[in-house]
Amino acid sequence: MTKSHKRLLFIAKRALYGIPVILGIVIVNFLLLQLMEGDAVDALAGEAASATPEYMAQLRERFGLDQPIYVQLFAYVRNVVMLDLGYSFRHDMPVLDLIMTRLGPTMLLMTTTLFIAIVMGIVLGLLAATGLNTWRDTIISILALVSYATPLFWVGLMLVLLFSVRLGWLPTSGMETIGAGYTGLERALDIARHMVMPVIALSLFYMAAFTRLMRASMLEQANMDYVTTARAKGLTERRIVWGHVLRNAVLPVVTMGGVQIANMLGGSVIIESVFGWPGLGLLAFEALFARDLNLLLGIFLLAACMVVVANLVIDIIYTFLDPRIELK
Amino acid sequence: MGKASVRNRLFGCMGAAFLATMPMAAHAQEQGGTLIMIVQPEPPSLASYMSTSQPIGQVATKVYDGLLEYDSDTVEQPALAESWEISEDGLSITFNLRQGVRWHDGEPFTSADVAFTFMDVLREFHPRGNNNLRALEAVDTPDEHTAIFRLSTPAPYIMRILSSYESPIVPKHLFEGQDVREYSNANTPIGTGPFRFVEWRRGQFMQFDRNEDYWRDGKPYLDRIIARFISDTGTRTAAMETGEAHVTAYNHIATEDLDYLDSLPHIEVTTDGYEMMPGVNFLIFNTTEPPFDDVRVRQAVSYAVDRQFIIDAVYNGFGVPGTSPISSKMIWYSDNVRRYDVEDRIERANALLDEAGFPRGDNGIRFQITHDIQPYGEVWMRFGEIVVQNLAQIGIEARIRYEDTPTWLTRVYTNYDFTMTSTSYFNFSDPVIGVHRGYHSNQIIPGTVFVNASRWYSQETDDLMDKAAVELDFDTRMALYEEFQQLIVEAAPHVFAVEPSLVTVYNNSVHGLLESPFGSFWGMDRVWIEQ
Amino acid sequence: MTPSASTGFWRRYSRNRSAMLGLVILLSALVMAASAPLIFPGSPFALAGQPRTPPGPEFMLGTDTLGRDVLAGIFHGARTSLMIGVLATLVSLSIGIVVGGVAGYYGGNIDNLLMRLTEFFQTIPNFLFAIVIVAIMTPSIQSIIIAIAIVTWPAVARLVRGEFMALRNREFVQACVVVGMSDLRILAFHILPNCIAPITVIGSLMVATAILVESGLAFLGLGDPNVMSWGYLIGAGRTVLRTAWWVATFPGIAILLTVLAINLVGEGLNDALNPRLRDR
Repeated sequence: MTKSHKRLLFIAKRALYGIPVILGIVIVNFLLLQLMEGDAVDALAGEAASATPEYMAQLRERFGLDQPIYVQLFAYVRNVVMLDLGYSFRHDMPVLDLIMTRLGPTMLLMTTTLFIAIVMGIVLGLLAATGLNTWRDTIISILALVSYATPLFWVGLMLVLLFSVRLGWLPTSGMETIGAGYTGLERALDIARHMVMPVIALSLFYMAAFTRLMRASMLEQANMDYVTTARAKGLTERRIVWGHVLRNAVLPVVTMGGVQIANMLGGSVIIESVFGWPGLGLLAFEALFARDLNLLLGIFLLAACMVVVANLVIDIIYTFLDPRIELK
Repeated sequence: MGKASVRNRLFGCMGAAFLATMPMAAHAQEQGGTLIMIVQPEPPSLASYMSTSQPIGQVATKVYDGLLEYDSDTVEQPALAESWEISEDGLSITFNLRQGVRWHDGEPFTSADVAFTFMDVLREFHPRGNNNLRALEAVDTPDEHTAIFRLSTPAPYIMRILSSYESPIVPKHLFEGQDVREYSNANTPIGTGPFRFVEWRRGQFMQFDRNEDYWRDGKPYLDRIIARFISDTGTRTAAMETGEAHVTAYNHIATEDLDYLDSLPHIEVTTDGYEMMPGVNFLIFNTTEPPFDDVRVRQAVSYAVDRQFIIDAVYNGFGVPGTSPISSKMIWYSDNVRRYDVEDRIERANALLDEAGFPRGDNGIRFQITHDIQPYGEVWMRFGEIVVQNLAQIGIEARIRYEDTPTWLTRVYTNYDFTMTSTSYFNFSDPVIGVHRGYHSNQIIPGTVFVNASRWYSQETDDLMDKAAVELDFDTRMALYEEFQQLIVEAAPHVFAVEPSLVTVYNNSVHGLLESPFGSFWGMDRVWIEQ
Repeated sequence: MTPSASTGFWRRYSRNRSAMLGLVILLSALVMAASAPLIFPGSPFALAGQPRTPPGPEFMLGTDTLGRDVLAGIFHGARTSLMIGVLATLVSLSIGIVVGGVAGYYGGNIDNLLMRLTEFFQTIPNFLFAIVIVAIMTPSIQSIIIAIAIVTWPAVARLVRGEFMALRNREFVQACVVVGMSDLRILAFHILPNCIAPITVIGSLMVATAILVESGLAFLGLGDPNVMSWGYLIGAGRTVLRTAWWVATFPGIAILLTVLAINLVGEGLNDALNPRLRDR
């Protein structure tokens, strides 16, 4: 079998594995969320601040919450298999529609953030590692640590106070200027202006982790036998770094990037809250406290699918980056 | 009642002409502009006819009208009903409906809509409907513009629930043939109100545009209202400060930021405008179990709670001490009750606990309890933390339990698995609607939230409430409620802690915002913006 | 470790100035934690003075919105925050190293099974998952530690697995296999030490993460309401960031310094344990 055949087979096998995994995830998530006290009707009744027992019983019947758990689970799994994520009782619309309205903004914010964080992380980590124990290394390391250790909501609010309130350069919150009716390029620029602060706050946080990982990984690789060999062969440091060390050192960073996908898709409750960004994180958070389990399960399912795909992609990238890893 | 009704009728006749001349009077109202109000949290739906959730009330009142409006003195004013007449025996109310009113889809508004709204929607599905409208037997419609409420008993409080927030009038022709709960226009509402629903972008905003055919001539002034959702309290303050938003009502600006915002030249902070939404924050005891089955222990805790400190530290001064189940803003309030905020309150509390048989142990502790906190945010947490410290002073060691909302609701109102918790009730416009639910024996309903969770009741107080509910004579009713308050405060099933003020923060380019006794829960047709 | 090896280690560690600085800060945090009940006897929740007193002679770091001493809160909070950080990280690292190591070394079906398990835990966005766990178990120190460990171990497992997969085909591992060394010995003494660097880094970052997650949960009102922690102080002070900056800022600095210190110590350990790194 040729290498590319093997690779195809590997991908197909892994993709097939994904299906039972996702079904398992659906069932476990469903059961996990059943552990919580109270249901959607309690939450709705609580919000309305008054409700009769008859009304609450009616709601439970209508939502199917009066059925035994296994019946609810079976109905839910059957629906998911038919690609129907159910209905959000709280928002009074299909879960899939609701998720779709939030997916775009989430992806926009998160892919931008992840991209900036990974690129900056690799560059800074590389700069720190190649200047080991110099002032460059120290400054980068300390910056990374400080940006990681500062609570997100504090960074967020400080950015708002500085750029919106004091300087008046950027809007405090939201994704675009409401009612401005921008289209095309104008709209893109408007959205970009709204994105600046949330992206800065979030990528500072993620960049720190990538920088530190990249630095550590570079140092570890520099210690490997093949580097000693290369050095013995008389290769220049520059060639060793760019030709050998870098490629291997990126592996853990890629792994970490993949790991972050699920978190990214889940959005950032805190950043979305501070900047009024219409993402999935806040939606999920509100769904939890409203016991809108269909919606929460829908978001979890979407995240699960993303992770399964991301993991597959990472494994494939590994096979390219490190030929010693076998395909099985 | 009779006098008010005559006055209202007169006002109704002259109303249109009078209001039409208003713009030419001293005020220079300006037409046009967009008002951006911050609403928090994002409403779960727009079905205000079957949910009293506060964010729904803030937005749906722009689209739906009520039969009546109320002025700042809480006096009934005409809206969809131009005038009304209550029969001598109090068993029927005749509403003369405004003519020429159209729904946003162009269909005419008639008495059939009123009958349908009250009989088939509100009475059946509104969370307070079966209480508010329990005396309503039928709505007769002799012609298209007359609706007659037929009541089984006199129900003076019905005249107090006819606002667009409490009883929105919905279109029969669109609901017909559908299950009310599955109403297809629930989130794209069609009403008769000053603004038409345009768009709801989830997680971001709702847009309402001017209803060009609104029945009140020349109104609304605004071209557009945008309701924005910003969940972070710091960002809400910043958005007000930069002028990105014009109004944040209903205490959704942190009290700590109010002094600062008030000091800015372009921002106003006010507690006006909630005359018909008075509330009381209190602690609920589980009176069926020790130690709080003993009235002396309950009174001791009531003495221990440092009301003024809570108001200063937690509410930044925006509130007054709670003294009674009925808010001091209500006409039925009486201060002729036992006072717990006295000088020697700690001594009294200690004496009561000694008397009740809870001596201090070697470590100074009499007994331990768990204090459940109403999980509605920071303010409640701080409130609970002070209560814990206050209780420590009288030898009660309290641990805080802070669960999420559905868990807490189930614990308190379904399982009664608690010792002491905190909460707040709105009194609304009449004790029958907002007060009876906390104390009447028929309000001990497992599984129903915000009713009598302390499970304390007495035949005496039940009788007083039953009599007051149907009493038409003002003075007699007043006396009934005074006795009721004395008995409740003495028995202390609740610790009445604070009457918080509801605060509205707004940009001073906005005018006419506070004309309703429902805060921001009204149509806002008379609100205008300096351009 | 033999005496000479340990003195060698300490000599190498103490040569590293930033690592020493980290150690000093970390030790002071530990001293604060240990001495809290002596210096500030009584409950840190006690209403000690006027609410929102600025830092001054009476209260060095001021008081919070209810008049509680911020300095007392920071001392008492050090106990909670450090305990949460360390315990959650230890639990998480142990699970992660075992699962990731076994999966990476053995491969095949074991790897498949363990990785599916890991994937499951990773499929739920971390912070949300932590919130769900704390919400189910009701907020307390234990539930917060468990929640943090549950959401963080998969990252360790994946990292360790990747390292072990790459290392198991290396010549020195093959050599161990050839001489008939036991799997446990190979895993624990030959492969694991070779990936101690990334594990140290991720471990020290995780202590920080744990402290930050705790503060995030407290920010959302899901902290342990009966125990003082830095996260609690920040959460309670965030609404007064404009009007009483000291309430949230000092505990924020405490977190920042501690996290910085833990990382510097982590790096110092790493360098001291792998002396070759410094000889470039």
